[in-house]
Amino acid sequence: MKNFRFTVLAGAMSLAGLTTGAFAEDVTIGLATAQTGGLAYADQPSLAGFKMAVDEINAAGGLGGKYKIVLDIKDTRTDTAATVQAAQELVADGVKVMITPCDADPSIAAGQISQPAQIPTLTFCGTTPTITEAVGDYMFGTYPADNGQAALLADYAASKGYKNIYILKSPDSAYTLRLPEYFEEVFKKKGGAIVGEGTYTMGQQDFAAEVTKIKAMNPQPDAIMTAAYEPDFPAFLQQLRGAGVAAPVIGSDGIDSPTITGLGAIANGIVHTTAGSPVAGSKLAAFYDKFKEKTGAAPETVYVATGYEIPYILDAAVKAAGSVDGPALRDALANLKDVEVLTGKVTYAGTNRMPIRDITIVEIEDGKRKPILTAMPDPADVPKP
Amino acid sequence: MDIVLQQIVNAISLGGIYALLALGLAVVFSIVSLINFAHGELMTVAGYGMFFAAAVSLPFPFAVCAAVLFAVIAALLTERFAFRPMRKADATGLLLTSFAVSAILRVIFQNGISARPKPVPLPSGFAGVIDLGVLHVGIVPLLSIVMTALSLVALTLFLNRTTLGKAMRAAAEDFQVLRLMGIKANRVIAVAFAVSGALAGIAAVLWIAQRGSVDPLMGFVPVLKAFVAAVIGGLGSLTGAVAGGFALGILEVLFQAFLPDAALPFRDAFVLGFVILILIWRPDGLIPAPAARRS
Repeated sequence: MKNFRFTVLAGAMSLAGLTTGAFAEDVTIGLATAQTGGLAYADQPSLAGFKMAVDEINAAGGLGGKYKIVLDIKDTRTDTAATVQAAQELVADGVKVMITPCDADPSIAAGQISQPAQIPTLTFCGTTPTITEAVGDYMFGTYPADNGQAALLADYAASKGYKNIYILKSPDSAYTLRLPEYFEEVFKKKGGAIVGEGTYTMGQQDFAAEVTKIKAMNPQPDAIMTAAYEPDFPAFLQQLRGAGVAAPVIGSDGIDSPTITGLGAIANGIVHTTAGSPVAGSKLAAFYDKFKEKTGAAPETVYVATGYEIPYILDAAVKAAGSVDGPALRDALANLKDVEVLTGKVTYAGTNRMPIRDITIVEIEDGKRKPILTAMPDPADVPKP
Repeated sequence: MDIVLQQIVNAISLGGIYALLALGLAVVFSIVSLINFAHGELMTVAGYGMFFAAAVSLPFPFAVCAAVLFAVIAALLTERFAFRPMRKADATGLLLTSFAVSAILRVIFQNGISARPKPVPLPSGFAGVIDLGVLHVGIVPLLSIVMTALSLVALTLFLNRTTLGKAMRAAAEDFQVLRLMGIKANRVIAVAFAVSGALAGIAAVLWIAQRGSVDPLMGFVPVLKAFVAAVIGGLGSLTGAVAGGFALGILEVLFQAFLPDAALPFRDAFVLGFVILILIWRPDGLIPAPAARRS
């Protein structure tokens, strides 16, 4: 009896295997991303957008019109060791594409697992331009890189007539350290000067000592530039304004969140770069509406949109490659040119696999972000990674 | 000269917050020998209290009360449902329980509220500076010095003038004898947690007044600082906790202010190195607890 049951079960299973195997070509995308912990603020919204795009693509027939996407989602808890483990499991499960967290360190760690297995790997919004070189030819960025953001921001600062800028950076992450350094490099080239430099520890609560130094500067700097993000940025800003320093603050995409606009009057005048801004009538605004309709809540950050764009970038690559085979897909991705996405165009051809794409500069005014300009940074300005 | 004075004000203000945090740990430790690593999450609860109060546009003083109330309730709930069932466990078991409580609370915040920080805007009057001749003192640091002083006075009065306070001090010295005197253990322990929660709530208000946002992982840094401060002061000693808190705050601000730029990224290493020196000099802390309660 026991044997009989087993036979029936095995038969049913093989039948089930046959049906899925025979009627659809599935492609499994493995996601080793941080749905809890310190990176969840970026990886959660990225995943929400990603899933929405996958549903749409599957409804339209799948990647390249023929490969239905199956997702294998693992939470890495913002822990690099856990990211490596998740990447190993995904590689063992035979995923065709891998997605890694919004940060350089775990992305590089995971990429080093997927690279030898010839699995094209994309980071959600890791922005450090050295990610791709640190791993190899299967690793791709998707988000505007730090050096591009810094170049455009420095260009803006120079055009605004700023001459003397104070920089605040933290050696604790590539983003908080290198982005201000890229900025410094470009800003100096454009004739500006860095008149002071402060450092902080990520998660540091108390900026009083730094703020006191800035307050004592004479003359005051024309602006303060930092790549600090939450929770450090609000703390710094709160204490800076609390001490009566009025110099404008300019920053990067890490502060593109409602937390900053929620700070009230002290946030007025902040200028920062971002992947995109939902101006009325834009594709991005239409997407925000669609997302709200589907989930009941408008996206809180642009990460939802950049996460949504990734399956469409893959779709374009699979169309060009005609298969989901690792090397073919890698070559197709690396040669993509002017792929239309929500926030503009994305190009990989001619890059080191960190895409060239439009970047927007916005200014915060009364709790709203007002776009100042959208442009691709001048390649001659962009510092070497 | 005035920059030195300025940094001293900064140091006292930060030290005061650390003192409140370390006291919160010490109050519980002195009675049940538990280092409550979920203390930071009590602060987070208080922070969300402020956020929700601001969201329904309660005036700021009510938001502060809501924050403290939330923290007290959370402290009592964790005591009742996590630490009381574990009371017979040894120190390691209790410690692990507190890690578990902390991890569970963090995931609840992350998945139940938001993984992203929530803004807690201060009333615009707080972004000002008060001029005291050479000294420009920000309203927030000033407020935190005043609130720390008031809390310390209130706690001292409570411990010295009320029956419950006296019972708590007695419990710290010899819990068994206290029970023989007919005082209910559960009550004393619950009050210790409530006091610890209130201290966490007040510290959270001051902490958030500086950082402007609350997020699920917010409690991690302060509880570490509180632990270091409590160890410097002498684990289990209340006056020691206050001394340790101020010592840590002063060390941090002074190193941040006066280290050469090239050494600044290593500020925490300098601070902790100095802490080691203090502990070599006084292995039981600055003001050790009575011998019986030492860890």
